[in-house]
Amino acid sequence: MMTILIMTLAYVNIVFISSIFGGIVEAMNNESINNQYSNIVIEPAIDERYINNKEAMQLIDTLPGVVGSSKHYNDKAFISYDEYKDRKDIKSGNWVIKSVDIDDEIKVTQIHESIIKGSYLDSTDRDEIILGKEIAGGQGGGLEHLSLGGILIGDKIDVRFSNNIKRTYTVKGIFSVKNTQVDQMAFVTKKEMESVLNVHNLASEVLVKIENTGDEDDYIKDIKMLGLHDEDIKKWDELMGFTSSASKSFTMISVILGVIGTIVAGVTIFIIIFVSVVNKRKQIGILKAIGMMENTIILSFVIQALFYGVIGVILGASVILFILRPLFITNPLDFPVGWVSLKVTFNIIRISNISLLLASLIGGFFPAFRGAKESILKSIWS
Amino acid sequence: MIIKVKNLKKTYEGKVPTHALKNINFSVNKGEFVALMGRSGSGKSTLLHQLGLLDMPTTGEIIMDGIDLVKFSEKEKSDFRLRKLGYVFQSYALLPELTALESVYLPLMLLGINKKEYIKKASDILAKVGLGDRLHHLPKEMSGGEQQRVAIARALVNNPTILFADEPTANLDTESSEIILKLFKKLNKEIGQTIIMVTHEPDDKKYVDRVIWLKDGVIED
Repeated sequence: MMTILIMTLAYVNIVFISSIFGGIVEAMNNESINNQYSNIVIEPAIDERYINNKEAMQLIDTLPGVVGSSKHYNDKAFISYDEYKDRKDIKSGNWVIKSVDIDDEIKVTQIHESIIKGSYLDSTDRDEIILGKEIAGGQGGGLEHLSLGGILIGDKIDVRFSNNIKRTYTVKGIFSVKNTQVDQMAFVTKKEMESVLNVHNLASEVLVKIENTGDEDDYIKDIKMLGLHDEDIKKWDELMGFTSSASKSFTMISVILGVIGTIVAGVTIFIIIFVSVVNKRKQIGILKAIGMMENTIILSFVIQALFYGVIGVILGASVILFILRPLFITNPLDFPVGWVSLKVTFNIIRISNISLLLASLIGGFFPAFRGAKESILKSIWS
Repeated sequence: MIIKVKNLKKTYEGKVPTHALKNINFSVNKGEFVALMGRSGSGKSTLLHQLGLLDMPTTGEIIMDGIDLVKFSEKEKSDFRLRKLGYVFQSYALLPELTALESVYLPLMLLGINKKEYIKKASDILAKVGLGDRLHHLPKEMSGGEQQRVAIARALVNNPTILFADEPTANLDTESSEIILKLFKKLNKEIGQTIIMVTHEPDDKKYVDRVIWLKDGVIED
């Protein structure tokens, strides 16, 4: 009973660690796809500030499987906030400001669903702006000391764009996503930005949302065929940088912990079968004297070890699939990178099953082999 | 002749090597009931273990059916023990979890005989040794004499060419010992079972056809 409990816990440990790290990586990926890069990002050709091929940009949405595309103008702006209008204690900073075409943007990102104060932009807005919580401040962000110190809806802020044009905007909304980079951005409407930059129907970047994440390479080929040959087209995961290296580290940690868990399970089985072999030394000697083959004796102990392994896998998988996974789906963990649930994949289950059964096989084989190879007389007189 | 031993030696290595058997030569004929006798440490049990393929001699030959058994691989020895040899140990060597019937049909199971047949055969042989009414008893529910008779039944169930018995009565009272030895004699006479038995009881001589005396690892003339 205790053996089965240990094997069950060993299995749960292996699957849980892999799944929770998988969940963290998935949450980071989802945040990047949903709020920052979507699936594909098209940037201007080298030495160009904007993407000029208007016709090609218009055609992206017509590709089968493309959910939508959203053109942004990006600019670095100096934003300042004079809370008491007395030109004292002005809070300010440099942040990225982007423009969005509302109808297109809501098909591509979920920022419109992440408004925590006020409301999202309307397509007709000209003197209104929405701010990420790390710019606004006072919303529990991690970069409070760099923020504007607690902007309220309706407050006026001054924005000086990179071309030195200065505008005053009313804060219409504050958004919060689980991505600090996005929370350090501000958004205005496309028309407003075009008037500031004095451009029309161009883009600093185009985000493209597709139906099936993972098919990006095929769509990049299609997009290039539309005429965007020289533009820099990247998949979301190529742009993740820190997040990408973090997910690789998580994967490595989960593999290391999985290997340790498997070794512990194997050693447990080894000890259990070793004790069983020692206790049955005399019986082994008698059976060998009667004429039982050594291989048959080894097989009987290996089957015993595999039995523990199989029961551990069945009970462990049941605990994961019927208790922990539903529990995490209804109560995901609030991580800084997103809402984290258990990502139990077929691959994790398959690898864990093979690992535990292999550990049982090896852990059972060695003591059984040793016991079966002992001299008949020594065994019988033990 | 059913078994022939030529120049058999057994030396236990160590700081001071122990020469347990020194150049043993003898043969046993089919249907013979032979006793190996000698004082404690004379090498009689060691010789029986070599003959029964439970241990490996240092040098020499053990020939049965024209084949030198010493040259067998472990697998071949196991198979030979199962098909051709039977053992009765001093301490019965029964598996505590198995009933008398299960203990006896175990070798038949290993031979791949079907269930109906091995149960019938095991039941018959248990009846022959006088345990027809103890088929489903565990060793702990039987006396020493009864346990030894189960061991004899198990040793005989595969119709062995030779039955080896290592001091089979050493742990038994006089009455039980007599029953066991009479049973051996009966098997020897009625079915012509060849038996090689180690004993230290001089009285046991009356049951056997021939005594091979050992002293300090050699056969005494």
